[in-house]
Amino acid sequence: MNSIITIIANILAIYRRELQSYFASPLAYGIATIFWLLAGFLLVILVFGPQGLLTQSAFTDQAVPLDLPYEFIQFYLGLLGSLAMFILPALSMGLYTDERKQGTLELLATSPITNWAVALGKLLGVVTFFFTMVLPLLVLEAAVVGSSDPPFNLQLLFLGHLGLILLAAAVLSLGMFISSLTESSVLAAILTFSLVLVLFVIEGIAGGLPGPLGVAIAHLSLLKHYSDFTQGVLDVSGLVLFLSYTVLGLFLTAQSIEAFRFQRN
Amino acid sequence: MIEVEQLSKAYGSTVAISNVSFKVEPGEILGFLGPNGAGKTTTMRILAGYLPATSGTAHIASHEVHRNSMAVRQNIGYLPETPPLYMDMTVEAFLYFVARIKGLPIGDRTQRVESAMERCNLIEKRRVLIRKLSKGFRQRVGIAQAIVHDPPVIILDEPTVGLDPKQIIDVRNLIKSLAGQHTIILSTHILPEVSMTCDRIAIINQGQIVATDTPENLTARLAGQLGYAIEVAGDPEQARAVLSQLTQVDSVKSLPNDGLGDNHHRFQVAAATEEDPGSAIANAITTANLGLYELSRNRASLEDVFINLTTEEPTVAGTDSSPDEVTSTLPEARSDRPATQDTPSELDE
Repeated sequence: MNSIITIIANILAIYRRELQSYFASPLAYGIATIFWLLAGFLLVILVFGPQGLLTQSAFTDQAVPLDLPYEFIQFYLGLLGSLAMFILPALSMGLYTDERKQGTLELLATSPITNWAVALGKLLGVVTFFFTMVLPLLVLEAAVVGSSDPPFNLQLLFLGHLGLILLAAAVLSLGMFISSLTESSVLAAILTFSLVLVLFVIEGIAGGLPGPLGVAIAHLSLLKHYSDFTQGVLDVSGLVLFLSYTVLGLFLTAQSIEAFRFQRN
Repeated sequence: MIEVEQLSKAYGSTVAISNVSFKVEPGEILGFLGPNGAGKTTTMRILAGYLPATSGTAHIASHEVHRNSMAVRQNIGYLPETPPLYMDMTVEAFLYFVARIKGLPIGDRTQRVESAMERCNLIEKRRVLIRKLSKGFRQRVGIAQAIVHDPPVIILDEPTVGLDPKQIIDVRNLIKSLAGQHTIILSTHILPEVSMTCDRIAIINQGQIVATDTPENLTARLAGQLGYAIEVAGDPEQARAVLSQLTQVDSVKSLPNDGLGDNHHRFQVAAATEEDPGSAIANAITTANLGLYELSRNRASLEDVFINLTTEEPTVAGTDSSPDEVTSTLPEARSDRPATQDTPSELDE
């Protein structure tokens, strides 16, 4: 019982420090600004652009009515997911590379705190930061769907954003693992981006493979499961997949930090 | 309190330390002295539980450092070679963070952080970002994080690096004030540091302990070798012959002229016995009609012991090893020596 409290206190200590460093970091604000600019731009294009939803609905055959709010949320979250693919590696790249550069890994490794508690605290910190990046976008989305009649189904909105956060947690966790392998932030960002790219398009690759192997690989796709969430379907296999990626990233991070101590040269 | 037995560490085929054994009693300060690359940092890291040893055991507060790592971590404060600091935090916030991850109870944190800042003279800098601190202050924050949780054992890897002379004195006094309630092991390559702060010294060279003793005993080992530095004017060969003839003189070697002028020459003479050869030397030189300009007695210092123990050849073999040339930061000054070269694993970076 006592040890559980200690572990939670440790995770919280790391979590607080991590958040503190994000909110004091010019780089983090830079990343957030780019994210908001692009996300706002995408929203305007999606709704008011020449091929946007408003134009489309004006020219659609009214016999088959278009559920505009639904279409909007689904498309928009899809775009945000793709945008996150570029943004998230930049958030996760410094998680361990900075510790290594500053020598603080040696402090953490000689303090009575386990590797996975450090990793979990860090992951919660960066996911929280991403969550605060998404919050202002909710206001924009509310402005668009708020005036819909009949009222918009909030469950869809909730599920879609839950999917976005889970997707982010999975990507950030794997990115954290990659950042624990190297001292170079740039290398970590590039490797993470490549990995995420593969996980996004893996469905297409798997399509070319015959038999059960192709099917199995297709299930690893982030995009496929993410689009289930944005369509308002609570897909348990998607939930399990995202959580598995997250836990895998945490596990590998803790292991690599431990192994790093053994092989250090 | 600290027991190290037959500790060895190899990185691939490079041996960083081999069969290192020593003991530190509770409340004692042990100085770990050696040239750069001798294996000090490796030993410290193994003791702190950061690196596993290849073979051998180390116990801190009767816990094995690798097998029972968590228990050891609760009992140590550790200052690595580069102070582990989060640049984007203030001094105070950083120390609170360390207090938290070291498992200090909430009620004690404020008091412990205040006391650590006070002991390391950081009060005026408490709200300054660590990024903006000078190297000396960063080093002090590093020491503060090692003592903030009041650990029984404190491991300090080169605690005075980057400090100015006044700060060095402050840190030495701080370390001395910690003795008694704390067991301290500190590494350094600066000789006066160990002789001033430490109860016992372990000298390590090329990964092996070459001597463990009190500063006094180590000095006494070479104290028998009495010597004189001499400056004469006249023919150097004649002077050398005159000095060598004396029965009280063991060896004579030339010292660099150091711009004294063409006619002046300097020699280092070692006494053959305990008998002081001073007056005999003076007599011999004046009798030979050579001008005597300087005659100064030197006893072996801790530095000589250090050089003797850490160089492969005895000091008398070379002309470049006169006592008065030896600076207090020996290894850099003597980096041309084989003992300080090709030592394994420059872990410092």
